[in-house]
Amino acid sequence: MTAPPTAPTSDGALIAESRADPEAFATLFDRYSGMLYRYVSRRLGPEVAEDLVGETFLVAFARRKHYDVAYADARPWLFGIATKLISRHRRTEAARYRALLRSPAEVIVESPANRVAAGVTAQASRPALARALTELSARDRDVLLLIAWSDLSYEEVARALDIPIGTVRSRLNRARRKVRAKFGDLNPMHEEE
Amino acid sequence: MDDLTMLRDLGGQLEHEPPATLARQRQRLLAPPPRRVRGWTMLALAAAVTALVAVIPTVIPTVIPTVDLDGSAARPAPDGPLNVLLVGTDSESGSPRFRTGRGTRTDTMILLHLAADRKKATVLNIPRDSIVDIPPCLSTAGTNLPARTDMINQAYATGGQACVLNTVESTTRIRVDHLVELDFSAFEGMVDALGGVEVSLPRPVDDLKTKLKLPAGRHLLNGDQALGYVRLRNYGDGSDLSRIKRQQGFMKALVKKAAGQLTDPVRLAAFLGAATKSIKTDPSLDVGTMSAILSSLTELKPGAITYTTVPTRPHPEDRNRLQWLPGPAERLFAPLRK
Repeated sequence: MTAPPTAPTSDGALIAESRADPEAFATLFDRYSGMLYRYVSRRLGPEVAEDLVGETFLVAFARRKHYDVAYADARPWLFGIATKLISRHRRTEAARYRALLRSPAEVIVESPANRVAAGVTAQASRPALARALTELSARDRDVLLLIAWSDLSYEEVARALDIPIGTVRSRLNRARRKVRAKFGDLNPMHEEE
Repeated sequence: MDDLTMLRDLGGQLEHEPPATLARQRQRLLAPPPRRVRGWTMLALAAAVTALVAVIPTVIPTVIPTVDLDGSAARPAPDGPLNVLLVGTDSESGSPRFRTGRGTRTDTMILLHLAADRKKATVLNIPRDSIVDIPPCLSTAGTNLPARTDMINQAYATGGQACVLNTVESTTRIRVDHLVELDFSAFEGMVDALGGVEVSLPRPVDDLKTKLKLPAGRHLLNGDQALGYVRLRNYGDGSDLSRIKRQQGFMKALVKKAAGQLTDPVRLAAFLGAATKSIKTDPSLDVGTMSAILSSLTELKPGAITYTTVPTRPHPEDRNRLQWLPGPAERLFAPLRK
């Protein structure tokens, strides 16, 4: 019943259209709900992710009048909203990373392909990463994970979090320093970086 | 490996693929979220009642003789999967403006399938223009009608409820547990009890037959207008299939509206009153059985209802009729058998 999502309309144009025709907004959902779900599922797990993605689009829908349609790509906006909503689930997120510490061998490895690609080094680094993620400040973690786990550029992360790009860089640097320090705790080999 | 690469690998391991149920979140966009007053129970009740009776405009007065569903065969208790045939008709009774003087025909036919766990439901529309094999039936006057190939709504016109039920069972090979009919006036009353249902019209409507006249855009329809809307024929491409689509869209809007509205006990009472006033069921579906079914539906959420239509193509002998596509239809029917 809906037009195929392949229509080459930009996100900005869609959002503009949705102000008069709310149903146009559903196309935005078709485009990005999967991508957002994958991101949120990494941070909070599948149980929370589904509802949170729905919530993200509801918030976006309610605020569509404030969107600057000059931005053709709505992903930074959507990731920004999702990030705010994720911050309400700090305990869930922390518990998820802690679980990586408790059972390093058997935690949610989704597919054999992932396992192979990840390799031994990543397996071994997991506890250090998990510990670092739990200990980072929320702001630093948001920047680090948007850079590492979404496809957003520095500029787009700045837009998503509504902070200057210099702040993105400084938070990212601080976060990475802390992560590397954790590797240092476990394995001096990583100090070279 | 640097820290970001390792972090990306870890992310890949933590990631989950979006489940099919994510589509439910899409529906939240276009409808206000339901108020949760008494959890899902009220909502499920509303959805169930609506799914059972709504949108299927029927005109059966309370006086119609009960259907004899192959006599003594025990119908299952309301656990396990359940199939309910919902029949709407255009007949002499009901709204005067739809009286044709040509006897009663089924206007809408829907098979409602409830999964054994009652967490999922399928609403299967059977296009009334479908050409099918109608088995031998007893006419409403008591004479024997031979088997024939005809439009499925002729089964009702000549043989009444029992004949339409037998026809659906023999053509789909799906066991039908219960049959429910409902009156046009019930439909109007239900929509009014909800305070109207909102629809979006892509083009203006000016229909003499249903006396519906509206500009394009979003409208809150009252019961009378809603009835005209679901019955409109010369709108869209004018086909029965486009009408079914419109009805299903309306049904979804109605279920959503019900979910948000029926937390108010006064409205719920009005809605149920309108719904039960003129529905007609087979004898085995008494009030006790129906309320047992309804109360088993507490897990059913509006988003877990699948709306589908028997797949068809234009009939080779009459382009205005429909022929079921054997393969796709079979794939649709198979899960509904038990």
